[in-house]
Amino acid sequence: MIDALMNLSLGQHAAAPFTVLTLSHYLLLSAALFVLGLLGFLTRRNMIVMFLCTELMFQAAAIAMIAFGRYHMDVSGQVFVIFILTIAAAEAALALALVVLLYRRKETLNADAWSELREPAGE
Amino acid sequence: MDLSLLYSTCVLGAVGLYLMMRPGKGAIKWAGGIVALAGGAWLLAKLPDALAMSPETRPQVFFWVFAVIAVAAAGRMITHPKPVYSALYFIMVVLSSAAIFLLLEAEFIAFALVIVYAGAILVTYLFVIMLAQQAQGGDDPTAGSEYDRSPREPAAAAVVGLLILAMLSQSTLGLADDPPMQKSATQARSEQWRELEQMPGKLQAFLDTEIEDEFTLGWADYPDMVSIAIDASVAAVRYTAEDGTQATAELPESMLPDNIQRVGLALVAKFPVSLEVAGIILLMAMFGAVVLARRQIELGEDELRQTAGMRRLPIDSGQEEDSGGAA
Repeated sequence: MIDALMNLSLGQHAAAPFTVLTLSHYLLLSAALFVLGLLGFLTRRNMIVMFLCTELMFQAAAIAMIAFGRYHMDVSGQVFVIFILTIAAAEAALALALVVLLYRRKETLNADAWSELREPAGE
Repeated sequence: MDLSLLYSTCVLGAVGLYLMMRPGKGAIKWAGGIVALAGGAWLLAKLPDALAMSPETRPQVFFWVFAVIAVAAAGRMITHPKPVYSALYFIMVVLSSAAIFLLLEAEFIAFALVIVYAGAILVTYLFVIMLAQQAQGGDDPTAGSEYDRSPREPAAAAVVGLLILAMLSQSTLGLADDPPMQKSATQARSEQWRELEQMPGKLQAFLDTEIEDEFTLGWADYPDMVSIAIDASVAAVRYTAEDGTQATAELPESMLPDNIQRVGLALVAKFPVSLEVAGIILLMAMFGAVVLARRQIELGEDELRQTAGMRRLPIDSGQEEDSGGAA
């Protein structure tokens, strides 16, 4: 059972890209999810959805850590994911409390409503 | 394997779905849902058998299924105009990545992810979305806030995102050599056996059942009295009995520390400081949330004054004038 996934090694993907799972498969999935989260964070205007997209990026990082941990037969990757979960929970609690405060003040979730906070252009 | 299994589960699922979709009749709907669920689960469990796949290729099938579900749900999540649906699609991403964690033999994390992420964090998100959402008209696709329907710079973001994805794939797929493994499979396995030395409770339970005469592991002399010996992938525990004689007992495969024991051991033995820091972060987040929520109650008192016909508190209106002047 320990050796069931020991074909998690690079270099075999060129021969059989779909039937042999390698570390790069998991890393590619992680990269795709991370980029999708990044895109969502850049394009969405709703503050809550922007925070959801950061959670998606956390999720992608967790997949990469677990895959690396499995590759090196080490549980440290899984321990890191526990810490990611901790940070995500803390971030969700604080960010959502802040979002509710901001919503009370302007009655909108649009992040552009707070664009006066940015540095003025051309100064 | 014969395909009749597939066909029968499909028929079962179809009957269940039909019963579910029929209008009215609550009890029949529930029965239909159970039938459809059972059919789906049976199909998922038996599909590799029915396709005559070897046990080695099963993880691949499930990897591709769940990877496609995760990426598709993530794509829909960042494009759906309604935030509630975005959150629900993110739950789907979490569930499918939990399935992928199961493929990677990270069982504890998979279930913790479902409980903590899908069960707690996402429910918080859903509550806040519903708190802070203006009333929107039904299922009309054009309903919803303008800022949810029109993304900011979609073309530029897509180009940037796909460039980053291309670079990331290049860096993982374009490698000429394997990254060096930290240890070989046999080495990793013997390390897993040796972790038993740090689990005296488990060893004690084993020795209690294995040895007739009473043998107690004392915490003080524990490291000297018990050690794990590995010889040609067979692990054995070497211990000193009370009369001073050395003895050896072979360890069965079921004594190998499982995933949850190994994660727990690494958490407290390898990363104790990080564990403390994580606890402090959670505590501070709790304080922060309480402080922020207190300010909401103050706002509520302000509204109470207004509805009671009293003047608004002068401090609050003064702040608003200040911020308006600064802008």
